[in-house]
Amino acid sequence: MTAIFPRPEIVKLPKPPMRVRIPAFLIDACIGAYLYAAFVFIVIPEMVFGQGADPLTTNDYFWIVANALTIGTIGLVTRASLGLTLLTGKVPEGPHRNPLAIQAWMLLTITVWSGWIVTEISPIELLSGEGVKGAGRIFSALFTPEFAIVGEALAAMTETVFTAFMATIISVPIAFVISFAAARNVMATSPTGKTIYVLLRAVLNIMRSMEPIIWAIIFSVWVGIGPFAGMLALVVHTIASLSKQYSEQIEDVNNGPIEAISATGANRIQVLWFAIVPQCLIPFLSFTIYRWDINVRMATVIGIVGGGGIGYLLTQYQGLSKYHEVGTLIIIITLVVWILDVISARVRAALK
Amino acid sequence: MALLSVRNLSHTYPNGYQALKNVSFDVQAGEFLVIIGLSGSGKSTLLRCVNRLIEPSSGAVVINEQDVTHIVGEPLRKHRASIGMIFQHFNLIGRHTVIQNVLYGALGETPTWKSVAGAFTQQQRERAQHNLTITGIPEKTNNRADSLSGGQQQRVAIARALMQQPQLLLADEPVASLDPATSHSVMRYLDRINKEMHTTVICNLHFLSLVREYATRVIALRAGELVFDGMPDAITEEWFKAIYGDDAVQVEIR
Repeated sequence: MTAIFPRPEIVKLPKPPMRVRIPAFLIDACIGAYLYAAFVFIVIPEMVFGQGADPLTTNDYFWIVANALTIGTIGLVTRASLGLTLLTGKVPEGPHRNPLAIQAWMLLTITVWSGWIVTEISPIELLSGEGVKGAGRIFSALFTPEFAIVGEALAAMTETVFTAFMATIISVPIAFVISFAAARNVMATSPTGKTIYVLLRAVLNIMRSMEPIIWAIIFSVWVGIGPFAGMLALVVHTIASLSKQYSEQIEDVNNGPIEAISATGANRIQVLWFAIVPQCLIPFLSFTIYRWDINVRMATVIGIVGGGGIGYLLTQYQGLSKYHEVGTLIIIITLVVWILDVISARVRAALK
Repeated sequence: MALLSVRNLSHTYPNGYQALKNVSFDVQAGEFLVIIGLSGSGKSTLLRCVNRLIEPSSGAVVINEQDVTHIVGEPLRKHRASIGMIFQHFNLIGRHTVIQNVLYGALGETPTWKSVAGAFTQQQRERAQHNLTITGIPEKTNNRADSLSGGQQQRVAIARALMQQPQLLLADEPVASLDPATSHSVMRYLDRINKEMHTTVICNLHFLSLVREYATRVIALRAGELVFDGMPDAITEEWFKAIYGDDAVQVEIR
C-alpha cells in the first residue's frame, strides 16, 4: 500500500475534543452508509441477479442507517476512524492503522466496481462489428465536409466569439468590485468584513459550481433562445470565476506597499487603489484574456442548449443527421478555438 | 516636554507571540534615536506602534502630550500622516513612476476622489520634485520606480516620507538590504534631514559602526524588553554581549 500512497506522518493522537469527534463520527457514518448501499444495491444486484436494484424499501433504509451508525460508532470508540484522519490530517499509530487501510481500500474497490456497473462500461459494444461500422460511417462523413455552408458557419462562429467576448467584458468590472470584498486580507480587519467575506465566498462557490450550461437553460427560457441567453449564462459563470481568481491574486499581494501607503495616512480606498491595485492589474489582465478563451469554448457548448451561435447550428445539423455539414462545423470550431488559444497564450506570455 | 513618550508598552500578536514587554522611553525633539537588537527582538513592532500601523495591547504612546494609543478613523490617519516612515524593502509601487511614488506621501492630505483621479495640485507636484532634489535624484522623476537601484529606491522612499512634512521620521532597518557604500549614502540623507530640517529620527539598525556614527542616543531591545538606554559610546563589549548574546561578534561597516 505504501508504495502507492506516500506514507503519512505517524503520530500518537491525544484524545481529540468532541468538536472534532462528532464531525468525524458523521463522516464515518456517511462512509458506512455509502459502502453498504453501493455494495448491496449496485454490486450485488448486477453480479448476482444480472439486473438493476429494485426501488428501496423502508427496510432497506433501516439497514443503511444501521450500518452508518455501526461504522460511525466503531470509529468513535476505537479511533480507527477515516473521518478523524481526514479532519486532523494525521494517521494514528499502531493497531489503528490497519483497520483504516482496510476501510480506505474498501472505499476505493467498491467505488470502482459500482462505477463500472453504473456507467454501463461495455468493451463489446465498443468493438463489435456493428459498432465499428457505425463509427466508420460517421468518420467518413466528417472527413468529407460540405463546404456549401461555410458562410453560414462563419456567421454563427462570429456570433459565438462575440457572445464570449461580451460576456467577458461585461463581467470584468463587476468581478473587479466583488473581488475586493471576497479577499481575506482586505476584509478580515473587522468582524463585519469577515462575515461579508465568508458569505460572498460561499455565494461565489455556489455560482461557480452551477455549470454555464444550466444557466443557459434557465436564460433561454427567460430571454428566449439566442446569443443573448448564452451571453447571460456566461456572464454569471465568468463573474464567479473571475472574482475568485482576482480575489486570490489580491490575497497574494506583497504587504510592504500596503504598510507604506497606510503609513502616509491614506484611507482604505486609497490603500486599495495605490497599494493593491497596481500589484494586481497585470495578473488580472492575464486572467481575463484566458477567461475569454475559455468562454469561446463554453459558448460553443452553451449554443447546443439554446445559447445561439455555432453550437445551435451544430445541434440543428446533427438533428437532421447531416454529418457532412457537422464535419464543416467541427473543423471551423477547432480552427477558431485553436487560433484563439495560441493568441491568448502569446499575449499572456508577453504580459509576464 | 518630550516629543514622543512610550509608556509601559506591551504588544502580543494574535498568534500569542509577545513582541514587546513593558517598554518605556522618551524621545526629545531633534534626537537621532537608534534602536538596536537582534532580529525578532521587537524593533519593528515598536516602530509600528509609534505610527499606529499596529495597535498595542497595553501601555501608551503619547506624542505632543496627546495619547494616540487607541485612536481610530480620521484622527488615526492624521496621526500617521504626521509621521514619515521608510522600510527595509523600500515598499515603493514598482510599476509607477518615481514622482507618482513621492506624491503618494501626500495621500493623507488629499481627498480620495482627487487622489484616485491623479489630480494632485501643482504645489504638491513642485514639493515632490523639490524632495527628489533634496534626496539627490531629481533626474529620475519619470522613471519607473522598479527600474532604480536599491539605494535610489530608498531615496525615493525618503522623498515620499518628506512629502508628509513629518515631525518624526521612522526608519525600519533602512540599509539592511543595501551594500555598505550605499548604506552610508542613505544614512547621510537621514542625518541631513535630522540636522538641517530638524526632523526627529527613530531608526532601527543592525550595524554598530553606523550606530556610533549617526545616533545621538541608543536604546536596545532584547526579547521585547528594553535593556539599554544611553549614548552610543556607552555600548561597551559587555553591553554588546548583553544585547546580542555571548556568541555575537561585532561586524564593521565602513
